[in-house]
Amino acid sequence: MNCNKALRRMLLSIIWIIVGIVLFALGVMGILDEFWYGFGSAAIAVGVIQLIRHILYRTNDEYKTKVDVKVNDERNRFLSSQAWAWTGYVFILCCAAAAIVFKITGEDELCSLCATGIGLMVFIYFVTYMILIRKY
Amino acid sequence: MKNRIEELRKEKGIRQDELSNVLGVSRQTISSLENGRYNPSITLAYKIAKVFDLAIEDVFIFDEE
Repeated sequence: MNCNKALRRMLLSIIWIIVGIVLFALGVMGILDEFWYGFGSAAIAVGVIQLIRHILYRTNDEYKTKVDVKVNDERNRFLSSQAWAWTGYVFILCCAAAAIVFKITGEDELCSLCATGIGLMVFIYFVTYMILIRKY
Repeated sequence: MKNRIEELRKEKGIRQDELSNVLGVSRQTISSLENGRYNPSITLAYKIAKVFDLAIEDVFIFDEE
């Protein structure tokens, strides 16, 4: 990760914290409902954790080296890519199984939702494949 | 694909973590390469061969089986 990228991510973390504080405050004041209150809390937590990591990256050389190796290590990238591929595959299988179960139990709306999910994933796969064909 | 990384590394007297630092990869990657569980990209294979002052085909043995 280069310094500009790290700085951009640091700014993004600060934006997350600000958005989180605004949502949290609006939730406390009763302007927004509980969902946004929880969402704001989560955004603050994520922003703070990311900000700490980015500050560490910029100030601690040992941590920076560790992160750079982790990010650039080709085996890690390969494992991550494989894990995502398997996640997608298992998710589709789970959706297919759920669609069958919902159809049998008469939950037609949920069955349609699962089937749409599968269709959407296949479509995204096709689009991604076509983009990657042009890239490589 | 078989390789001679472990043999060449021991000949040179360097540890896995030292080799990983030179190559900019994790120690686990070196371990996986030595055990034959992971095949490197052509770029990494080239870097490894360069560390040992050898050609890629001297470090990695293509096994058709």
